[in-house]
Amino acid sequence: MQSEVLRKPLRLDRPANGHSPAQALPWQFAALGAILLASAGHLLIKLGLNTAVHGSIPGTAVANAFHTLLQPALILGLGIYGIGTLLWISAVSRRNISFLYPLTALNYVIVSMGGLLWFGERISMGRWAGIAIVVIGVALLQLSSGEDQ
Amino acid sequence: MTPSSALWLSIVLGSFAQIFLKKGVTRNAKASGGYLALLRSAWVWLWAVCFFIATALWLVALSRIQLSYAFPLLSSGYVIVALLSTFFLKERISWMRWLAILVISLGIAVTWGSA
Repeated sequence: MQSEVLRKPLRLDRPANGHSPAQALPWQFAALGAILLASAGHLLIKLGLNTAVHGSIPGTAVANAFHTLLQPALILGLGIYGIGTLLWISAVSRRNISFLYPLTALNYVIVSMGGLLWFGERISMGRWAGIAIVVIGVALLQLSSGEDQ
Repeated sequence: MTPSSALWLSIVLGSFAQIFLKKGVTRNAKASGGYLALLRSAWVWLWAVCFFIATALWLVALSRIQLSYAFPLLSSGYVIVALLSTFFLKERISWMRWLAILVISLGIAVTWGSA
């Protein structure tokens, strides 16, 4: 199996074998999946924490901590965040970190939109401006994407 | 530890974590075996430890610092990761990419600097 990979060192974007998930996905899918899952995870964690706060009962700190940690949305959010981290590892194995890491700024855009649509959080004009600047920056980053692997 | 130093330490550790992860997965890309093989890499463990400590410090800082102050500072992480990647990974960063990184950092700062 190892020799197969070594024979094609430049084709890590293709599955080298059936048992290598870190190399099985196109990097675009892995990177965007990682960002989307991290955002979804954050929103679910927020939902779980909100539910926990509303449902909290007067009692000991330990009881309240358990009540918070056992929220289904929180557990689901952490799980989804974990899967997103695996996809992130997959993406990092194939592209320069100086290209991939700034892409994670899209998290802020997606989470802001999620907050708006899901929790009815208001987005001020200044914040919209910031979101627009981030999107322009990601577009510029995309222009620099052909320069390396 | 002051909340401010916890915040900065979190940002720097989180940035180093990404460099460690890149080191770890790049070495392991030569060997097959998928995710489980990554557990054999010291770099990957270093990433996990730094990531965990950075997250803990971030939560400590957030509990005492306003979000609108903490989040704009987080954007410096993009510049720090880029600088570290040129030093430790020998990644070449074009002026277009530096521009993109600065614009993204500015965008994050504006997003969270405006309440």
